[in-house]
Formats: sequence, structure tokens, C-alpha cells
Amino acid sequence: MKRTAALALFSGGIALYCLVPFVWFVLTSLKSGTELTAIPPILLPSFHLSFYRSALENYGLLHYIANSIIVAASATMVTVAVGSLAAYAIARFQSKWTHFYLLLLLAISMFPQIAIAGPVWTILDRLQWLNTYQGLVAAYVALCLPLATWILATFFRDVPVEIEEAALIDGCSRLQALYKVVLPLAAPGILTAALLVFIYAWNEFFFALIIMTDPNVQTLPVGIALFPGEYTMPWGEIAAASTIATLPLILLTLIFQRGIVRGLSAGAVKG
Amino acid sequence: MFIARAIPFMLALVLALVHGVFVGVAYAQTTELRFVTWRSEAPEVWNQGIADFERQNPGVKVIREIGPQSSTQLHDLLTQKLKNRDPRLDVFVMDVIWPAEFGSAGWTLPLDRYFSKSEQQGFLDAPIAANRYRGSIFGVPLFIDAGLLYYRKDLLTKYRVAPPRTWTELVDAAKKILTAANDPQLIGYSGQFKQYEGLICNMMEFILGNGGKLWDEVAMVSALEQPAARAAVRFVRDRIIGEVSHRGVLAYEEPESLALFTEGRAIFHRNWPYAWAVANDSERSKVAGRVGRAPLPGFSPAQGAAALGGWQIGVSRYSLQPELAWRFAAFMTGANMQKRIALATGRAPTRRALYDDPEIDKKMPQLKSLLETFKQAAPRPVTPVYAPLSNIMQRYFSSVLALHNTDIDKRASFAGRDMNRVLDLLRDRSTP
Amino acid sequence: MKRSQDAALWFLLPSFCFVALFSLFPIVESLRLSFYRMILTLPWLGQRMVGWENYADLATDPVARDALVTTLLFIGVTIPLELLLGLGIALVLNEAFRGRGLLRAVVLVPWAIPTVVASQMWRFIFNDRYGLVNFMLFGADTSSYLAPLADPYLALAAIMIAEIWKTTPFAALIILAGLQSIADELYEAASVDGATSWQKFRHVTLPLLKPALLLALLFRTVDSLRVFDLVYVMTQGGPADATNVLQFYGYKKTFAEGMIGYGSAIAVTVFLLSLTLALVYLHLLRTSRWKEAGL
Repeated sequence: MKRTAALALFSGGIALYCLVPFVWFVLTSLKSGTELTAIPPILLPSFHLSFYRSALENYGLLHYIANSIIVAASATMVTVAVGSLAAYAIARFQSKWTHFYLLLLLAISMFPQIAIAGPVWTILDRLQWLNTYQGLVAAYVALCLPLATWILATFFRDVPVEIEEAALIDGCSRLQALYKVVLPLAAPGILTAALLVFIYAWNEFFFALIIMTDPNVQTLPVGIALFPGEYTMPWGEIAAASTIATLPLILLTLIFQRGIVRGLSAGAVKG
Repeated sequence: MFIARAIPFMLALVLALVHGVFVGVAYAQTTELRFVTWRSEAPEVWNQGIADFERQNPGVKVIREIGPQSSTQLHDLLTQKLKNRDPRLDVFVMDVIWPAEFGSAGWTLPLDRYFSKSEQQGFLDAPIAANRYRGSIFGVPLFIDAGLLYYRKDLLTKYRVAPPRTWTELVDAAKKILTAANDPQLIGYSGQFKQYEGLICNMMEFILGNGGKLWDEVAMVSALEQPAARAAVRFVRDRIIGEVSHRGVLAYEEPESLALFTEGRAIFHRNWPYAWAVANDSERSKVAGRVGRAPLPGFSPAQGAAALGGWQIGVSRYSLQPELAWRFAAFMTGANMQKRIALATGRAPTRRALYDDPEIDKKMPQLKSLLETFKQAAPRPVTPVYAPLSNIMQRYFSSVLALHNTDIDKRASFAGRDMNRVLDLLRDRSTP
Repeated sequence: MKRSQDAALWFLLPSFCFVALFSLFPIVESLRLSFYRMILTLPWLGQRMVGWENYADLATDPVARDALVTTLLFIGVTIPLELLLGLGIALVLNEAFRGRGLLRAVVLVPWAIPTVVASQMWRFIFNDRYGLVNFMLFGADTSSYLAPLADPYLALAAIMIAEIWKTTPFAALIILAGLQSIADELYEAASVDGATSWQKFRHVTLPLLKPALLLALLFRTVDSLRVFDLVYVMTQGGPADATNVLQFYGYKKTFAEGMIGYGSAIAVTVFLLSLTLALVYLHLLRTSRWKEAGL
């Protein structure tokens, strides 16, 4: 009894801590114009959808979301694909090269991204990939590869070698062994890495700001940064846009939450 | 399983390619003119204007790249393209503090060839001066802003206080009204004192109003350590913020400070001309019709100073079609466009003739009275190293205002020393 | 054996291509630029190789020193709190109860929200007139309302709160992973020996949790040192430079002022700081498991 009560109390506290700020913002998005700036603030809104309408119609929100989905999904798929290859090498062909490569990746991931934004822009410019999906995706892939590779490598290492060796004896190439044996067994790891990359690409702001200046391809964080007028701060629309922006991620995390926890579980401790 | 996972990826790739091809095909037969700007408050006017330009120049398509309203973010975006000599940028908007920086860096095309001195005469002096650097002109002024004082006419009348002509009068008036009104929600003065560019505008109005300066333009040294400047800063900290305002203004930019005024919670308010329309709009303001506007006071009568603001249009030095880009810049800053923008958004035009225009006079009757203020608006230091100077000054002003018991004299001398170190960089250059 | 090595190199190649082009090259370029004096708005000064001058200036730059102190203060406060809260959350999530799955999803919400969204949200919450914090503290008594973002100390605290809220879930998950891998038999054995809950925690859980805790410490420290979006949206470094973390100062130098050489030196400094701290952590974490992972 005491245990249940304590658990309930703590769970409630945790839920409040995690949700209250966000729920407050969501409630804000449902207020009417005058309720928004009421002093003192009003807790419960009257469920106006005017801000949502405004965010969607006047600010083109859906368009930004579509771009974000394209960029984040592509970045995820490419990172997982490329990262799997490297992770497989690190997990299976343990040599001084793979050892060195893992350390290199970790060191690279520590460099402040803002500082390399400039050179990355220049490279994309030379490739004529500015204002294109592939340009931003390529930049995100490079930024996410260290963490993704690291997680994937730890998972692959946990896959028993015997099954793979059986497949190899049966005549599979290394690549086939990777795709047919290792990947299915390492699914939690792939899920974790995929979600991490997706969330990163979905959230990223500064690179998107300077690389995507054409409104056709701008992603959501940049779109939201365009909401403020020169001398106005449309809190209502921003709250509405933020709610819509976050819902897909929340849904994703809800669906995959078991997978994620299992994912980091095996990865973090087994090293 | 590999195929299953590859399909979505290929789909995404195909989508991207199709999109790219579509866009490419649509523009294949036209000349593109790329224009980086923020979103206007009157998009119909801009859309109409651009459509007119395209009609007048068949085969030309103006592609707008919309950047954030925030001056700093737009600056980041623009400089990224310009420093990499991006040929796909032709025309862009510039904040009033950028022309010297962009001109010196070689990013904007000097426009002397197209924009003659006599043409420049048709514009107000202050913005033109801000666009000139080392003898060349680097931008065309689009609209002008200057700091103004707003006040609650009804409160001043009710408590029999005259509109103040000096800052001391303003503080005394505010205190008198605050005591008499006894409203805990009311404060005396609302301005922009957050650590950002606007802080410089607010503070320089006090400093210049005391006969001080931010820098000595001729000697190219800081003037912050001068007694007049220090006294003005001390006044702001001790009397404005200390006595008649509240600490919250230290986090305010224009929107928040104006909101305080339109909610009826501030007696005096400093802001740009646009605030007039907002404050008198009964849908957005609780004090509509009860607002007065005047030039900012100084420390002695008629010594008030207003900071110069506004935006200009510049042409990229790396544009592949500078003639066309110039034509567009000239069109957007032409009398017709400026008038349309003024009528739709309330922005003050930069062409002198428009101040006598009957239509504008009818729609914005107070505009003419602002002409004097505009003529005397003071620019921030017009120098390529303005950005580091601004950061140093922002740090100084914000520290003095936000921290307690600061030694103004010491901090002023540190700021001055830092500014001089930056200004020294300019001395390396041999005279032209 | 050699064939294995060749195969390994082929597998590493695609990843290496991305990383070399979009990470390694820019980093090397940044490093190179840090040895030059390069000011974009003063092109006649040219790009002069000045060796260690930028770093020497950085060492004597009072603003940089304050920024470093601010950064260290920032990570010194946020990281322990994140780990503590993360530990608490992980301990709860480790228990089996109904609704655990839902709570796990709820815990992930702060992490899932885009940082620019979260920053705006917290700015709104700390607003001095209609913010939630003021409402909760003072209710309808609006004259007592605070302006957290206007006060240097409170502003830094506000940024810290926003950061902790945003990243605690990540720490919680890593620690939860560590908790879940501790075999139940160990707890049973301790029970048999008569250990109390606290003793079990101190002698079974904590020691075995060390790798996960240190891992959370590593990731979080490296990320905290690079905090940018929060400051960019909420305070732009103010008031009075109170929230001017080192990397934001670097951004201002590089992008706002065009002082590319100096800005790059700041970035390299942040990088070296991360590296040093990481090496310290890795040394502390020196167990055979890490050697297995190839670290």
C-alpha cells in the first residue's frame, strides 16, 4: 500500500514536471486574442481555434512541417544506413582502424556546431546543394553519425556471432549477413538511433536558418522563427505552431517508447 | 527487409528530385532576381508592387527569400551568402546600421553610378548619411524611423501636467502622476532596455540629449567616458529606472514595452513612429484616442535627440545582373512604392516630396510634424566596425542598468578602452 | 585476417566520406582560421597568419573569461541537477506498475520538443506580466510580479531551468538503462543478507550504476558546453552578459562581428574544454567494459 502510494506520488510529480510547461503553452494556443494577454493570466482558455487557423493560413505552417518531415526522414534513413555499415565494421572487425575511427567520431562530435556552420555552408555552396533537401540532409547526417554509429555498434556487438557465422558458412557475403541477420536482431538499437537522428533533424535550427533561405524548402524551426513580426510577438500563433510541431514527435515517442528504453538499455551499460 | 526500408528513402529522394525539377523547369525561361527581405506587414502592397515591376520588365521574375524579422538573424543569413560571394543574391534589405559594414566588406555594390548626388537630394539627409561611407553610397533608403515620446494625454490633462520638455520634467511629471493616481499597476516610463541593439538607441537618446556623444567621429575614439555621457547614463539608472520605471523594462524590446503602454500601464513611452497607429487602434489598444506624441526631451529644452532607424535596399556586389538589380531597388524605393507602403503600413517615407503629398497628409496628418525630428535624427556610428562597438556598448549599458551599485565611471572607461581598441583597427588603413 | 581488414575499410568508407567532407574538413578549417586574423568587414587588413595571437587575446579577454565562468557555472549547476532528477525519475520508472509505459512516454516529452519551441515556451512562462511562474508565485497580485529575464542572476537561473527541463529525460533514460541491467539476483542476495533498501541502493545499485552515470555525465557535459539555441532565443546573452556562455560569445564574434579568426579560436577552446572533460570522465570510467567497446 505504502509502495503504491509513494509510486503514485512520485509518478504524479514526474508527470507534472514534464508536462506542465508544455501543457501551459498548449492551453495558451487555445485562448482568444484578449485572453492571451490578460493580466493576471487566465488558466483555462475558452478553446478558441483562431490562433491555429492563423498559424495555418497566414503563416503556412503545414508547408514547414512537410519540409521538416522530408528532411528528418531522409536524414534518419541515410544516417542509419551509412552508420550501420560503419557500426558493423567496428563491432565485427575489431582492429586498430575501427578503434581509431570510433575515437575520431567521438572527438568530432564535441566540436561546437555553430563554428563549423560557415565552412559547411561553403561546401554545400560549391556542390550547389544550398536550398535543397539533400544539402541539409547531408549536413545532418554528418552531425548525427557519431552518436548513431556508437549506439549501433554497441548493439551489433551484442548480436551472437554464431548465427552470423552460420549464415556466412552458408555462402552469404558480409553485407548480406549484415542485412539479413544482424539488423533484424539489433532492431531496438536501430530504433533508438533512428529516433535520435529524427529528433535532432526535427529540432535543428541554425544550420537550417542559413542553408535554407528559400521559403519553399524551409523547415519548421526556421518557420517558427519567422513568426515574430518586426514589432509584434504573436504568442498565440507561436503556441499553436509549437503544439502542431511537437505532436508528431510526441506520437512517435509514444509509439516507440518501449523500443527506445530497451534500445538505450543494452547500449549504455554494456558499453 | 532491406528493400522494405529502402522504399521510403527512395520515395523521399524522388520527392526531392521532382520538387527540384519542377522548380527548375518553372524558372528556366525567365531571368530571376533574388530578393532577400523580411515579411512585410502589408504583404498585398509588396506583392502588388513586385507584380507591377515584373509587368514593366517582361521576362523577369522576382524571387523573394523571406528571412526573420529579427535584425540579428537576418544579418546572420545575409552575411553568410555575401561573404561567400553567392551569385544568387541580387537585392536585399539593410538595417540602417549595416551599409558602412557591408560597403567596407565589399558586399554591397557602390551605387554612385546609378544614384546621383542630385537624386540623393530628393531623400532626407539623415538616412542618406547613414548609407554613405568613404565617399560612396551603398544603399537606397526605403523608410525612416526615429525615436519619439508617447504619453497619456488624458493623464497629463487630468493631473494638470504639461508635456515635459526636459527629462527632469518628465521624471517629476511621472512622479506627480504616480502619486496622485495611486494605481499600483501604473508605471512612469516604458522603454527598451534589454541587452540588444535597441538599447543603444534608447541610451544614445539620453546621452545626446545631454550634449554628449557615443564617439568622436573625427578623432575616432570613444566618447563614453566624457562627463556628459556618464551623467546621462547615471540619470537613466538612478532616476528613470530607479524612480519611475520598473525592473521589467530591462528585458523589454519594442513589443513588450509598447504592450505595457497600450494596456494603459505606462504614462510615458519611448518608441518608433509605428507605435502611433498601434496605440490608437481600438482593437489592439486600451488607450486609443488618449495618446499624445512629441519629440523626445533633452536635458535642456530643445536639446532632445532621436535615434535614427529605418531600412534601406542594397544591391549585392556579386549579383550577375547589377543593372536589373538596381532597377528593382530604384523601383521599390521610388515615390510610388514609398507612398503605397506609407499609406498601408504607416511607415514614414524617405523621399522629401512625399511629405507634401495630399493623400499621405490626409491619411497620416501627423507625419508632417515629424519631419523636423526626422531631419535631426542622429545615426549610430557609421563605421564598418559598428557591430563590435555595439556589442561593447550594449554590455556596458546593460551592466550599469541591470546590476546594482555599479561604478559607472570605471565601466565607462573600460568600455571606452575596448571601443578604442576596435577603432584602432581602422587606423591601419592608409588614407584614400 | 587481412581480408577482414580490407572489408572493414570498405564498410567504414561511406560513413567516412560524410564525416570527412561535412565534419572533419570544416573542423580543420575552423582550426586553421583560429591562427589567422580575419575580419570580414575590414578586408584590407587581409588574412594574416598570427599564430597564437588569437588565443593569447582570448586568455586576457575579460569578456571571454566571464563567459567561461558563466559556462562552467552553467554546467556545474545543471549537470548534477539533471543527473539527480534523472536518477529519481529512473528509479521510479524502474519499478513495475500500471501505467509505467505511459509515464515513460510522458517523460520523453520535454526531449521531443524542438529547442526553439521550448525556448519560446520558457520565455513566455517567465514573462513578467502574463507568465506562468509569476502567476503561480503571486496569483493575482500583479504588482509583485518578477521579471526573471531582466535580472542577471535570475536570467541565468531561468536558462538553467529551461535546460534542465529539456534534457533531464535523456539522463533519466541512460540511467534507467543502467538500472535495468542490474541483475535481480544481486538484490535478492543482499536481501538474504539482511540489507535495508538504503543499503541495497548504496552497495548494489550505485556501484553498478557508475558506468551509466558517467556516461550520462559525458554526453550531457559535451552538449551543455555547446548550448546555443536557448540563449539565442531567450536572452541573446543578456542582461549584462549574464547568460553569455562561451559558445554564444563565439557566435557573436563570428557571425555578428565578422571576426572569424577570433571566433574560431573560441570554438576550438570550447572543443578542447569538452575533450579535456571527456578524457577525465573516461579515465574515471576505466573498466574492462569500456576497453571492450574500443574506447
